[in-house]
Amino acid sequence: MKKFVSLTVLILIISSFTVSDKINQLADKEIKSVFEIKNYSKQTITISNEINETLPQKITKTNFFKIKNNEKLLGYYYLGQAYGKADYFDFIVIFDSNLLVSKVKVLVYREDHGGEVASKRWLKQFSGKSKTDNLQYQKDIAAISGATISAKSMTNEVNKLLKTIHILDIKKQL
Amino acid sequence: MKNLKLLLAAVLISAVGFSQQNSNNLSQNSGNRILNSINKGITIGGYGQIDYNEPDGSSVGKLDVHRLVLLFGYKFNDKVSFLTEVEYEHVQEVYVEQAYMRYKLNENVNVLAGLMLVPMGIINEYHEPTTYYGVERPNVDGKIVPTTWREIGIGVSGRVNSASLKYQAYLFNGFKSYAGGSGLLRGSDGLRKGRQKGAESFVSSPNFSTKFDYYGIVGLRVGLSGYFGKTQTDDTSIEASTIGVSMIGLDARYKFNNLELRGQYINANLSDTEDYNTLTGRDLGSKMTGVYGEIAYSFDLKGVEKLTPFLRYEKYNTHAETEGSLVANSAFDKNELIFGLNYKVAEGAAFKVDYQLVNNAVSASETGKQFNAGVAVWF
Repeated sequence: MKKFVSLTVLILIISSFTVSDKINQLADKEIKSVFEIKNYSKQTITISNEINETLPQKITKTNFFKIKNNEKLLGYYYLGQAYGKADYFDFIVIFDSNLLVSKVKVLVYREDHGGEVASKRWLKQFSGKSKTDNLQYQKDIAAISGATISAKSMTNEVNKLLKTIHILDIKKQL
Repeated sequence: MKNLKLLLAAVLISAVGFSQQNSNNLSQNSGNRILNSINKGITIGGYGQIDYNEPDGSSVGKLDVHRLVLLFGYKFNDKVSFLTEVEYEHVQEVYVEQAYMRYKLNENVNVLAGLMLVPMGIINEYHEPTTYYGVERPNVDGKIVPTTWREIGIGVSGRVNSASLKYQAYLFNGFKSYAGGSGLLRGSDGLRKGRQKGAESFVSSPNFSTKFDYYGIVGLRVGLSGYFGKTQTDDTSIEASTIGVSMIGLDARYKFNNLELRGQYINANLSDTEDYNTLTGRDLGSKMTGVYGEIAYSFDLKGVEKLTPFLRYEKYNTHAETEGSLVANSAFDKNELIFGLNYKVAEGAAFKVDYQLVNNAVSASETGKQFNAGVAVWF
């Protein structure tokens, strides 16, 4: 029984590594291409529980980072998840040093339905959005016929993130 | 029956007027579908439409739980999942509408196998009643494209994100044109009676189906579908018992703020119908066409509620051309104007009312009129 439990734990650890490893690799590639750099360092941002409680999107040690190159702040990135019709998908939001959205990209999309949300052209609509923008699906961000659930969910997630960034900025946490 | 209409209108208006704002936490619900952990899980969902149809004058109104579909999905791991939809039609008929396994080869390619929807036009694939306007599905997607058109097959689907392109390609078993000594396809609804729906289907030659969707222009989605092959027969020694089918579909959907436009064109060429009709005594046409255009504008009410008037014009003909001595039946050459209201009360729930005016090409024929009302849900 003990063996079985430890084996299960081991498998769980390995499988969770492989999933997050893949996402980190894909995120790494995006960051390098956005800032046109070969090397950078990432730095976690610690937010107190008290402030985290007030955020629409909770910030953890694994979802939000500063991007630095030789101690110079280049920007920030956020790794998020949103839900489609029957499964979740992973995405990254990269901000520049002025907290404007540089790029949004879907890193892993799992289900067959709704994958149109990963379209480069569609995601480009988020570029340039700022922390004070309020994004409404089908108004500020155009709809995608046949992928309504995923596209709406993605819009809501980015909107929540912008509000979070706004609060963090006001409270001088960034 | 006039009173019922009045009552319905009154209910609708009062509901619009007194609807309460309830906009908290709209975005959270979709995640609840995944019942188990994130790497494995069951998805439960469904859709349904309950309709009231009242033809003007000629016959009595009809109330019907037209469709009630229960969806179950199971995700084995990040690569393998299974999806099925079990459908109750008119309460007592049970069908399996979809049942297929998906294997994700990589980010751009999925292999799908099982009972699947044939990608042709808009509605056959996107047939949940809250995704289209009008109580009933468009008639082009019924008479020309026989929705819900599903067969057993295998194929690939995927997307190219950099090109904003979705592709699908399948081999399916085809329509059943001949069984037990008689022909099944007929002039009034073309291929509809030939659907095998995955029920002890027989296959004498596989059919090829493909669709490309382009969504690179923001707000617009354009689809091009094709279906090619021969129908199936239980007696391959009778050459005339099968016909050739080649169907092409072009569809477009456009959304800009509160405005929605939709259009679809379907052209189906059927070959060897003269021999088929001679053998079976049927009246199958050799060409069927269908086209429709729709405009809708949504008025935002409180919260997620929306009131959307719409107008659709359809034209379809199952006898666009006929072969040999068969004279085209002008009663099959129809056009239709349908207008109505869609009152969306929640994401995935709507009340619908509409009025249909149907004309055919028979000279001095009367316009058919029908009032429809219904409830549509998708969760």
